[in-house]
Amino acid sequence: MGLVPWYDGRDGMYGWIWRHLPGNTWVKAVISLVLVVAVVYVLFQYVFPWAEPLLPFNDVTVDNQ
Amino acid sequence: MAVSFFGELLITAGLVLGLFVVYSLWWTNVVADRAAGKQADEVREDWAHGRGGPGVLDTHNGIGFLHVPSMRNGEVLVEKGTSSEILNDGVAGYYTDPVKATLPMSGKNGNFSLAAHRDGHGAKFHNIDKIGKGDPIVFETKDKWYVYKVYGTLPETSKFNVKVLSEVPEESGRKKPGHYITLTTCTPVYTSTYRYVVWGELERVEKVDADRTPPKELR
Repeated sequence: MGLVPWYDGRDGMYGWIWRHLPGNTWVKAVISLVLVVAVVYVLFQYVFPWAEPLLPFNDVTVDNQ
Repeated sequence: MAVSFFGELLITAGLVLGLFVVYSLWWTNVVADRAAGKQADEVREDWAHGRGGPGVLDTHNGIGFLHVPSMRNGEVLVEKGTSSEILNDGVAGYYTDPVKATLPMSGKNGNFSLAAHRDGHGAKFHNIDKIGKGDPIVFETKDKWYVYKVYGTLPETSKFNVKVLSEVPEESGRKKPGHYITLTTCTPVYTSTYRYVVWGELERVEKVDADRTPPKELR
């Protein structure tokens, strides 16, 4: 047993996910696409809006703090 | 094995960072322009129906529009406040803190100080470096056009330099009370290390006619 489930796999995390998706290659491809879209959605909708104010790229005002 | 696991993490991190750039420079503009368009329509609608009549401040949805031909970005809605919640809607905000802006509608001497994003969230002041001395800045309200003329720029100053917002912004070279306008945003592009400042002075005020014919600077 390794640290993570895919530690024993031959081809890493993404390979492990691919092998555990159901169906034939086409079904796997479609599910993968849906997963990618879901991850991008979560990033754009929740993660990035949360992270942005913590990063010093977008302060436009002058202030005395 | 540990190497391939680590390599995948690095690839994933790279993809996420790449997506963050896409988010910052493209998606926030899409969201902000949509919000600004909606709020601008509401203001225009209110004006057309005589709500928020002459002199009355409708600060909820914005007080007017900024037109800066040298920035080539059409009209920018102006709202109260410079917090990120306000500015992220793709509008310019007038300062309430640390130095309160003097609104042109008040008719009083003072400084109409504004801020907007340089990149992302509508990037309304992206082209601030294209503004030169003598260029017009026009502020449109329900019943007046306030025509300002740019007389000074400060391409780089500290973000703590609140004196640029003063009623008489002495750093711009003016020493006497007057009707000033100040635009601030961050610089260099894509970062927030310094602030870029543009100063203008009121040249004249025109009444808005029935067709809302813009002043000659915007034609």
